Amino acid sequence: MKKSILYSTAVFMAVCALSLFSACSDDNADVTKPVINLIEPAEGDELLIGSSTGIHFEMDLSDDVMLASYKIEIHNNFDNHSHGTTKAGETTTPFSFNKTYDISGQKNAHIHHHEILIPATATPGKYHLMIYCTDSSGNESYVARSIVFSTTAEEDHDHSH
Amino acid sequence: MRIVGVWIIIGIFGSLNVYPQSADTIKSISLSEVVISESYQARNEKKSALSIDKVQKDFLEKHFTGNLVQTIENIPGIQSMDIGMGFSKPMIRGLGFNRIAVSENGIKQEGQQWGADHGLEIDAFDVEDIRILKGPASLLYGSDGMGGVIEIRSADMPAGNCFLGELSLLGKSVNGTLGASLKLALKKNRWMFKIRYSEQQFGDYHVPTDTVVYLTQRLPIYGKKLKNTAGFERDANCLVNYHFKNYQSNYALSNAYQKVGFFAGAHGIPDLSRLQDDGDERNIELPFSKVNHFKASTHQQFSLDGIIYSADLGYQYNHREEWSSFHTHYTNQPAPLVDPNRELAFRLHTGSASLKVRLLSSTSWEHMLGGDLQLQKNTIAGYSFLLPAYTRITLGGYYLATWHLSDQWTFTGGIRYDWGKINISAYQDPYLSTYLHEQGYSDDLVASYRWRSYPVNKTFGDYSCSAGMIWTPTERHLLKFNIGRSFRLPGPNELASNGVHHGTFRHEQGDASLNSERGWQADLSYQYKYGILELSLSPFISSYDNYIYLKPTGEWSVLPHAGQIYRYSGTSALFAGGELGVSIKISDKLKYTLNGEYVYTYNREDRTALSYSPPVTLRNVLLWQEKNWQFYCESQSIASQSRVARNEEKTSGTNLFHFGGSFHFEIGRVELKANIALRNLLNTRYYNHLSFYRKIEVPEPGRNIQISINVPFKIKLK
Repeated sequence: MKKSILYSTAVFMAVCALSLFSACSDDNADVTKPVINLIEPAEGDELLIGSSTGIHFEMDLSDDVMLASYKIEIHNNFDNHSHGTTKAGETTTPFSFNKTYDISGQKNAHIHHHEILIPATATPGKYHLMIYCTDSSGNESYVARSIVFSTTAEEDHDHSH
Repeated sequence: MRIVGVWIIIGIFGSLNVYPQSADTIKSISLSEVVISESYQARNEKKSALSIDKVQKDFLEKHFTGNLVQTIENIPGIQSMDIGMGFSKPMIRGLGFNRIAVSENGIKQEGQQWGADHGLEIDAFDVEDIRILKGPASLLYGSDGMGGVIEIRSADMPAGNCFLGELSLLGKSVNGTLGASLKLALKKNRWMFKIRYSEQQFGDYHVPTDTVVYLTQRLPIYGKKLKNTAGFERDANCLVNYHFKNYQSNYALSNAYQKVGFFAGAHGIPDLSRLQDDGDERNIELPFSKVNHFKASTHQQFSLDGIIYSADLGYQYNHREEWSSFHTHYTNQPAPLVDPNRELAFRLHTGSASLKVRLLSSTSWEHMLGGDLQLQKNTIAGYSFLLPAYTRITLGGYYLATWHLSDQWTFTGGIRYDWGKINISAYQDPYLSTYLHEQGYSDDLVASYRWRSYPVNKTFGDYSCSAGMIWTPTERHLLKFNIGRSFRLPGPNELASNGVHHGTFRHEQGDASLNSERGWQADLSYQYKYGILELSLSPFISSYDNYIYLKPTGEWSVLPHAGQIYRYSGTSALFAGGELGVSIKISDKLKYTLNGEYVYTYNREDRTALSYSPPVTLRNVLLWQEKNWQFYCESQSIASQSRVARNEEKTSGTNLFHFGGSFHFEIGRVELKANIALRNLLNTRYYNHLSFYRKIEVPEPGRNIQISINVPFKIKLK
């Protein structure tokens, strides 16, 4: 079955080759996306508001050609993207984070930092963490995580790293 | 000899409405010679140097799905871009969106065809006759006809006075579709009246999977049903025809209303709580889309001394809305007081007028002069923003000529000029600028993002032309060649959009400096018919020097929920490919058909394929025909598509098996036609590279048993 399909496809392609005389140009551009392996925070992690150590952030990025840049973005998910308006508490403000980092010139990058600080005034609740990564050709991949900010979470629960 | 010429002329000018005039035209011709006229089919094929597919009622009935685009997808070279089971938009040879035109009753359909989640708003029950032109047709249809045209033509008037009608029923197992349509028509002397009402209701559709993987998250599909993909469609139309001597006119009114739910996972970051089975597979919850398309049109035609004057006037109102529970990333944005969950609304008014003069005075030459005018106004509403409000005016004039050198050779050619002016309203997002200020961005940056849409006031002008030949050396062979230049005006989304598209999660940015899209296209079409064999082959090649696409820029967007900015840019692009058809009559009752299609796309700037390149598809069909019934089995092979644009997913191929049959009964005086189809027999899990749900890894529908029944009737009147 498979062979006959291949065969008939081959015949058909040969016929179409008539119109493809100029189509055999260079077609080996990089369309492979970089790979994001986000280790921390994990899906559903509770993170402590006001923690002095910052969010434990750890991931591996890799690309078959060359990495370019990555972006960390955190925005609130209070309405679950499904109902009602967002309500900020009286003294708290919803947290958001949006920063890009240059990692050009590398094929693999191990990222580990604690620079995202959740201020004590941040509104507790559900948040989305988005990681975007691009390679030198503009191929882009991203991952999304649901995380929770709370005032009762364990302080840096993954000290072992 | 001359009568053959007359027939060819009639054929070539043959928009359907011309036929009644043929008697008048022939009157003045003396029948001094006896000649055998060509067949109707042969005349039709000589109408245009472009590759033409005529789709008649029997094909449409046999492949009826309740969705017009999914029906004509069976024609090689035509693809269907599906948004679940409900909405579909057509594609010709890899060109879709605004690059192809759909016309009904002489009026070009104008909806929100730029959008990925828009579907064609036409009642599938009401379509009886279609002509599909593959290749550059902007000569006849202006800007949008660049990649081809799907012409839906009004059905023939019955010859004698009669009262006729048809009841059609449709059922599908894959999503519990129940559909019905009733047509009633009265032909009395010079007048004909026709009305039709159609309705379809369907539930969530079945997919052969328990989970989909999206954004590295595994999402459950409860009960193998894709939650909230139910919908319904309600269409009504009426048509009045008047024909007296050399005057003919028709008046058509139609309204199509569709409401279809979106799979919750397709809007926003999927949340497990929203995918739980709600126990009701026929409800339409948020998010959903609804669209109403109203159309009024008239065709007027008058013939005198071998000249046909005709005019088409039309008004359309397309009102499309997307609803999704109010959500925002900007803490200071309140929900609207009225319709708080209306995310997007577009109201597009289109007025169009076209005039044609056709000169039939000579037997070897014919000429056509025409002009088109179109006025558009689009307004927007909703708590989100995607496309700006705009007004647009386009004006075009053309001249076409056909020269019949002999019975064997016909040459065609034409030239057209179009002028267009678009005025796009600016749109500022106050919540966005507050948000960006809060994020600590500089005033300069905030100023550049604050405008969701820039004010654009632009005029465009460009020409189209084509030259072609039709060669029929003997009855067995038909060879057509056409070369044409076509163009397309950039759309308002390509010129002025700026923001995150909720369906693609991309920050899409228009570019007001874009020029019109231009290209040269060459088409060859060859048909061979002899004895038991029919063969058709239609290769094409097109080269565009300003093909507009969404280019990933590598620049990060500061908007929440967005990665890099995708900007509409022009590139040099190449399309090539073709269709193949072989049909062999193995015996009186058994027929084998092979159809295949292939499209190669190449973005010369990025050195990648273009997005939405249709994969190679082959269909092998064995058909057994008896007098009152027929049965077919079909194997459909879809090759994998690994030639993708940057940031588009590759799609693996599949083999599908379909069975079906048609039956024709007469119970007493009642005639009954039934079609049964079993699609995707093995319940294979596969993906459609062109589907809206492809990017969230939702497979295509599973096994489907479909039954359609037609009960036509006709009562002769005095």
